[in-house]
Formats: sequence, structure tokens, C-alpha cells
Amino acid sequence: MEFLDLLMLGFGEALTPTNLGFCLLGALLGTLIGVLPGIGPTATIAVLLPITFYLPPLAGIIMLAGIYYGAQYGGSTTAILVNLPGEASSVVTAIDGYRMAQKGKAGSALAVAALGSFFAGTVATFGVAIAGPMLSSFALSFGPAEYVSLMIFGLLAATVLARGPVLKAIGMILFGLLLGMVGIDASSGEERLTFNAIELFDGIDFVVIAIGVFGFTEIIENLENVEGRGVLVSKLSRLWPTREDFRQAWPAVLRGTGVGTFLGILPGGGATLSSFCAYSLEKKVSRTPEEFGQGAVAGVAGPEAANNAGAQSSFIPLLTLGIPSNNMMAMMLSAFIIHGITPGPTVLQTQPQIFWGLVASMWIGNLMLVVINLPMIGIWVKLLTVPYRLLYPAILLFCCVGVYSINNRIFDVVLAAGFGFLGYLFRKAKCEPGPLLLGFVLGPLLETNLRRAMVLSDGSPSVFFERPISLVLLVATAAMFILMVLPSFRKTREVAFREEEA
Amino acid sequence: MKHLIRNTALATSMLVSIGAAHAEWPTDRPIEMIVAFAPGGGTDVMHRTLAPYIEKELGAKITILNRPGASGEIAYTAMTQAKPDGYTLSSLNTPGFLTMQMDRKVRFDPKKVCLVARIVEDPGSFIVQAKSQFNSLKDLVAYAKANPGKVSVGTTGLGTDEHLALLQLEKSAGIDLTPVTFNGANEARTALLGGHIMAMGINVGEFVGSEKSAFKALGQFADQRAVIAPDLPTAKEQGFDVIMSSERGIAMNCDVPEAIRTKYSDAVKKAVDNPEFQEKAKQQSLPLSYRSSEEWNKELPARAERLGEVWKLVKEQK
Repeated sequence: MEFLDLLMLGFGEALTPTNLGFCLLGALLGTLIGVLPGIGPTATIAVLLPITFYLPPLAGIIMLAGIYYGAQYGGSTTAILVNLPGEASSVVTAIDGYRMAQKGKAGSALAVAALGSFFAGTVATFGVAIAGPMLSSFALSFGPAEYVSLMIFGLLAATVLARGPVLKAIGMILFGLLLGMVGIDASSGEERLTFNAIELFDGIDFVVIAIGVFGFTEIIENLENVEGRGVLVSKLSRLWPTREDFRQAWPAVLRGTGVGTFLGILPGGGATLSSFCAYSLEKKVSRTPEEFGQGAVAGVAGPEAANNAGAQSSFIPLLTLGIPSNNMMAMMLSAFIIHGITPGPTVLQTQPQIFWGLVASMWIGNLMLVVINLPMIGIWVKLLTVPYRLLYPAILLFCCVGVYSINNRIFDVVLAAGFGFLGYLFRKAKCEPGPLLLGFVLGPLLETNLRRAMVLSDGSPSVFFERPISLVLLVATAAMFILMVLPSFRKTREVAFREEEA
Repeated sequence: MKHLIRNTALATSMLVSIGAAHAEWPTDRPIEMIVAFAPGGGTDVMHRTLAPYIEKELGAKITILNRPGASGEIAYTAMTQAKPDGYTLSSLNTPGFLTMQMDRKVRFDPKKVCLVARIVEDPGSFIVQAKSQFNSLKDLVAYAKANPGKVSVGTTGLGTDEHLALLQLEKSAGIDLTPVTFNGANEARTALLGGHIMAMGINVGEFVGSEKSAFKALGQFADQRAVIAPDLPTAKEQGFDVIMSSERGIAMNCDVPEAIRTKYSDAVKKAVDNPEFQEKAKQQSLPLSYRSSEEWNKELPARAERLGEVWKLVKEQK
């Protein structure tokens, strides 16, 4: 019952007018920057960080947290409406969400995303409250060897993201791995694939590639059609999800929440993996896997739930151990430190109102987001009826501003344009960009962890089999591989058959 | 005709006012401060915290622009290419600024970079888990002697502050350590807490601000103990010749008139001395250590020479 008392303390803190106000402000700001492609929460929080000097500690932190999960909501809106994922986590949402929008079901995709996210956010928030301290010690047991096995698992799962032949998907993953290698290699200090361009020393930014191969490519392709028809292929149908949509979405939301909460705890890449893994899982358990990539509701619900759950649970290592699990959390850590609060076990004891106040505010913030976002769906969907000749210059402009603002340089904008052209060629070759992005994100993680594992084990690969978590992950990877090969073997034959007939 | 006369008069008066404004640096337009690292990082937060106090001293407006990349080379290049009118400055961090010039030709002319003011000197340090058997660098060295290569130390890459400190300790104590590369101190901290590595390199300023019950420091790599860690013995006190600290300051193009540079340097001094700023610096565990333009420029060559010696050790590793 002590837990309930603490939660009450948290709600007491979070429900003060000041804190409620900053929670709302953060959630609104977050939604806004999430909707604007390329302007990420990391940059926004960095700019607002100095302002939090002048706020009470909890209010400042609540606002920053609100921006973070608000951006998760907003990010899926552009992914669904105009095929523009602003972050790694919404890449997957774009796959089926955008298809749904094209079919005139943008409203139900947005509603499913919002409700799924809210449910997942609620569960994960309580997860943080109940099991946070316990789960954090599990996260610590993930060493380099475990990460290597996890990344291999994730990369294999990425092949499911593509509709076409497995071979093309693997090709795209490998290309993504190659892109991930660009930059100065930290372990050797050598430049790799930089072509002597100083702008490439730190590698390519995720947003540059995502906006290129998704945003720019989409615009080129839409303009290619003589009518310049834009997003809508068929007429707008109903705004709200049908009963059938709900029936398909619920189990997916539940599974996505589980996957997201669990993977979000892992520092370094866990939260990114969650939406990808949820998507693969849905496609695997689905009775109609061929609908994935054609606008499957479960393909939106699962990953959306997973990424929101992951966003919440990535607070666990920060709050309980003082360890930020990604750049966003590192920024949150500086926000704490600016106020002289050092997150960690001590804070749990000495300043429980900070921890529990934040936990409670996260739930309130999620509630606010649903309330803000559901009525907005009508407006967002209306956006699709704007003639494309008016819509696309605006999208293009926001993309360019977003890309420029990452490092304040024009080089990145040109690079994104190059990726847009490349993405267009990929489209024509029927290669999908999803696996490429996952390869790009996971590749560097796989490489650095592999190197660490090898340095620590003195070059002996047996470390991957001796450590239990790593072994379990490898066995799971092998099982997934077998599952994949068997039915896909059958299916490719079917497809080949059909093509022969046609 | 009347129009023309009026317009000419207007244009003339505008020209005059522009000319006059140029004369009174720095109130003509906002001063652009290029920060060489991403928003939210230690360097960025420090400059953003300090800027309002410099603004107050100069009566000018300062805008911060982040131009991260290539350890600062992008920012130094941008700063040296801007018009040398005193309206463009950049952050400057050592040892990065010095080490990048050792291996290859950099894209800017180092002779054009003039130091304006040092704000912080943050000594390097090695930390271990709080429950570790090591309590000092001596303990760690003794263990490494008995078990060569068994002590794994997290660093953020080849030639970084931590790696250079590790090489010095290896040489000075005659031991063999295993450096493990991480993408940033936070990743290394996680691995240390999980027991996947035995120690890691980190700046004192970053450590003092972190959870005390989890880690302890073994020593600091400065000539003198930092103001924020007066109880932590230096490596020298423990008998090892390891000196490695990170300095953070401000630089301008050398073509900027010296009067302007000095004026800025003095304004930074007053800003750093402002009790309000001191309070904030304390909260952020900033090891303040001001040096004027003149003092810092005088000290730098010796620092560069010592780094050159250490850099030879990196070369041997390659």
C-alpha cells in the first residue's frame, strides 16, 4: 500500500495548477514540433533548457517530459498523413498508416494511433511506478554481448518490414549498415566513407535520410502523376474507426505495449527497436499477413503502442539509476542537474515528490494528449483535401527547415535531396526504405557493441553463448529465421506462380 | 524632385548612422556565438548560462548558434571565415582544438584563432563502482601489474581526453590497460554500473554532478586539485605523471582589433565573477577557472607541447 500512498503524493504534486499548466504547455509544444517534420524534440528541449532555470524544478521537468511524449504523438500524425516519419520510431507507422490514409481511412488510422498510444502510455506509466526500480537492474545486466545478440535479432526482424522479396529487403538492410558506417570511427580514429567532407565526420543524421527517402521521394512520386493527385487515392471514408478496426487493433495494442515497455528500459537503442519489433510480431501472428503494407490496422496499432510505451519506460533507467538511455534522456538529465537534482536511488528516497510527481504527470499528460488530439483528427484529415499543388510546397519547406535546423548547415539539405532522388530510384526498383533505416540505426550499435564484446573477451566469440540472456536471444533469432524461411519459401513459390499466370 | 532629395537625404542619414553604429561595437547588431557542440551538452549549457551575464556587461545581445561536428572543426572554420568585426565568436575546447591539428591538416588556419577567455578547466579522472576494491590509482595500478590487460577502462574513443590519460598512466606506471570505446560518457557509465568494465575515464565536473552512491573517483589528472573536488588527490600526489584536463573558453578571429578582444575578455571576467552566475555554475558543477586572453595565450604553447608528447603514444598504438 506504500506504493499507493506514493502515487497519491505524486498526483498531489502533479495536479497543482502550475504543474498542470506546464504539463499542458509541454504536451502542446511537443505535438506541434512532432507535426513539423524534422524539428525534433531534442533540439526543442535544448533551446528551452535555459528557460527552465527560472521555473520550479518539477514544473520545468514536467514541461520537458511533456514535449518528449507530445512529439511522439505528433510524429505519427505526419507519418500517417504525408508519409513523413520525423523519428526512427515512426518509420514503421508510416508503412501501413500512410496506406490507410491513401485509402481514405486517415481518420481511423489517427484515432487508432492516438488511442493505442494512450493505452500504452497508461500501462507503461504504471509500469514505471510499480516496477521501475526492479526493472532497472535488469537493464544493467545487458552488456556488450547481449546487445550484439539483440541487434542481430532486430536486424533479422527488419526483413519483415518489406512487402517484396526477402532478398531485396536484406539488400536494403546491408545498404543501411553501410550508411551507418560513414564518419570517423571512434575506436581507430580513421575516417570511413567521408570522401574528405568535413560535414560527414560525424556520420549522417537520421532525419536527413528519413526526410530524403520518405518525404522527398513521396513528393516526387506524387508529382509524377499527371493529375498530381497527392495523398488521397480513394475518397475519404468515415472519420472514426469501425468496430472491425477496433477488433483488430486491441490485441495489437496489448502486444505492442508489452514489447515497448520491455525494450524501452534497455539503454541505447531499446526504444528504437520497440516499434520495429512490434511490427514484426504483428505480421507474424496475423492470420492475414499479406494485408501488412497495404493498410493493416494492426500494423499501425502495435508499433504506435510500442513506441509510446517505450518512450515512457525509457525514463526508468534515468530516474532510478541516473543513466540516460538516449539523447533525449541525456537532455532531461541536464535539466535535472541544472536544478541541483541528481537522479538516482538517492532521489527516490530523499525527494520522492520529484519522481512520483513526474510519473503522475506523465499519465496526466497522456490523457491531455488524447483530449487534444482526438478532436484535431477532423482538421488533420481535412488537410488531405487541400489541393496537392498547394500542399506539397509547404511540406517541402518544412522538410528543408527541419533538415537545416539539425546542424544549421545547407549541406544537410542538399544531402537529403540526394537521398530523395536515391529513394525515388529505390521506389522504381521496388525496394523499400524501412529496412534501410533500421539497418542504418542498428548498424553502428551492432558494430560498437561487437567490438566491445571482443575487446572484453580477448577475442573469444564463445562469450555470446556463455551469457544466458545473449544465448536466449540468439536461439530466438534462429527460431525466427526458421519460421521465416519455411512459409516464405511456400509463399514466394505462390507469388511466382501468380506472376507466371499474369 | 522633392522626393528624390528627400530620399537622398534619408539614404545619407542612414549611411551615416550605419557608419556611426559600426564605430560603437558591440551594440550595432547581435553578437553571434558559435557553439561547436550540440545543444544540451556540457559546453552548450555552459555558454547558454553565461551569455546573459556577458550581455549585461557589454550592453549587447548575444545569440547562440550550434554548429556541431568534427570535434569543433566546423565551428572553428565558420568562425575564422566570418568577417573579423567582432560580431562572430566561437567556443573553444582543448585538448580537441590542439589534437585535431596533430594528425592532419585542418580546414581552418590555426593562426587565425585567437583565445579570448578561458572559463572552465575540468580535470580528467578515473572512476570505478562504489563497491570496487580500488580506492586509489595506486590500487588500480597494483592490480593491473598483477593481472596485465585485465583492467578494462571505458573511453570515448582513440585520442580523446580519457584515452590520452590512460596512455599516460600506462607509461608512467608501466602497466597494460584495456581501453574499451563507448559513444559518450553515459554509455560508458551504464556499462560500468553493470560491471561490464572495471573503470572509466570522465571529467571531474561530469562526475561530481552524478549519483554519489554508485561511483567513486580514484584521482584527478590536474596540477592542482579542482575547486569542485578539493578532497580528491591528483595523480601526481599519488606518484603518477598524468596530466589531462579539458578547457572550455571563447575564441575570436585574430584579425579582430585587439581592443575588442580585450574588451570582451574583460566582460567575460566580470560575468564569471557575478555571484548569480557563480551560484548557477555551482549547481552545474562547473570547475570555473578564468584566464584572460593574455594569460591563456601564454599558457597554451606549453600545453600543446605536452600533448604532442602524449600524442606520440597514440601513434605507437596505431
